Amino acid sequence: MFGKGLIKGLQITWNEMLAKKVTVQYPDEQIPLPDRYHGRFELDADKCIACMLCANACPNKVIQIERTRVGKKQYLTKYVMRIEYCMFCGLCVESCNQDALRFTKVFNMNQYFRNKVRLTLVDRPAPREEEAGQAEGEQATGEKKGPAAQKAASARSEAAAGKSPAKEGES
Amino acid sequence: MGENIFLNIAAWIRGLLDSIGVPLLANDIIMMIIKASAIIVFISLNVIWLVLMERKICAYIQCRLGPNRVGPKGTLQTVADVIKLLTKEFLIPRTADKVIYLLAPLVVFVPPTLAFAVVPWGDGMAAIDMGIGVFYLIAVTSLSTIIFWMGAWGSSNKYSLVGGMRVVAQMVSYELPLVLAILGVIMITGTLNMSEIVEAQKNIWFIFTQPLAFLIYFIAGVSETNRTPFDLVEAESEIIAGPYTEYSGMGYAMFMLTEYASVLVISIMCTVMFLGGWLAPFGWTFLPSWFWFFLKVYVMIFLFMWIRWTYPRIRVDQLMGFGWKVLVPLSLANIFVTGIGMYIYRAIGW
Repeated sequence: MFGKGLIKGLQITWNEMLAKKVTVQYPDEQIPLPDRYHGRFELDADKCIACMLCANACPNKVIQIERTRVGKKQYLTKYVMRIEYCMFCGLCVESCNQDALRFTKVFNMNQYFRNKVRLTLVDRPAPREEEAGQAEGEQATGEKKGPAAQKAASARSEAAAGKSPAKEGES
Repeated sequence: MGENIFLNIAAWIRGLLDSIGVPLLANDIIMMIIKASAIIVFISLNVIWLVLMERKICAYIQCRLGPNRVGPKGTLQTVADVIKLLTKEFLIPRTADKVIYLLAPLVVFVPPTLAFAVVPWGDGMAAIDMGIGVFYLIAVTSLSTIIFWMGAWGSSNKYSLVGGMRVVAQMVSYELPLVLAILGVIMITGTLNMSEIVEAQKNIWFIFTQPLAFLIYFIAGVSETNRTPFDLVEAESEIIAGPYTEYSGMGYAMFMLTEYASVLVISIMCTVMFLGGWLAPFGWTFLPSWFWFFLKVYVMIFLFMWIRWTYPRIRVDQLMGFGWKVLVPLSLANIFVTGIGMYIYRAIGW
């Protein structure tokens, strides 16, 4: 019949009009992210042994690590990611033997100034020799480093990793 | 309930003016000004509402939500847009024909506004109950062709010119089936008065006795208002915005205002000629007549929008071919069949 297609078109748009809408009102509601989402990086500084594997795995030379020798071990003092060059391929996360470097689901890494884009995951001074020795002794007995230092370090790394997305654009 | 609310307001104002000793002539003039301003305010508010409705329907058809941030549920979106347009600069191209260019957006709103004078909004609610109402309305609305052409010519822009030529070709071609479609109704009723045409549909609406005429009128009406699938005049993807290309700020807003006012006029004409105007269906007179009138008009407008967001734009040659080779012969055939039918009915003495 002539005009059948026209009627069909009207039917389709009518059904679409009554169908459920696909818009997600972003700031108010969010699409749940998958578990393996490649978002902002998170580093567990206590697990990290500053082995440089991640820095070597990175194809873009994003990761800059500073470390000092404390006692017999390498001690991580600074872990900076030049995130503006990062393509979130995940090779660094894959290469981490200690499971210290991980992805989070934070994706709003926008900043007002370019120099604030850089992601500082760890920035801490190296412990003095005697403390380190003590810490090593503690570690040998199954305990970790001085609790105060550890707390401060983890707090700093958390702040740097920006675990609260409310602070977007600040820091 | 509420049936005579507008008539009572008019009578009250008239009585008030009488009681403070205003002479009869001045009283009439004041009443006319009040009616005219009421119509203009109605059109303007209606356009604000229709733009929002268009955007919402478009969004819903495309599975989106549409504007929903400004005001409750986005109802103030168009108000914000109007404020933006009002504060924008009105640019005049250096090569433009300034008088014509500036005159076009000023006068473009006049024809649709004039058309509203004879519209019967409800039982006995026409601003002017003119004996040749239908003729007047058609005559006045066909003026807008030349105003679009003015805007197109004054811009001195190739896209405007192409758009303007399309406006003239399209509106002149589709005016013919538009008028011929109405002729069937006028033959049956034997009057050009819009209120009398509505009264004649007391027993059966003309959409049932003249379905072909309604279809032709509707298609030609979509074309007359330059809306998809006949929006070759604007055709954003081909000629930017046709005659409106060079206009900015309020000049552009006036053209948009006119487009929606024209949609309103065509919907009102459909309602009056074919959908029984203010008459309530199934004898549901518990709602006032003007309510039924607006309900029918808005159903027609919804149909316009539904069609706009369903069909793609057709080509110029298809447009012309469809107008002259399909719609005009069909409307002539409709008149012929209507005449034979009337003759037979008269012969068997109904």
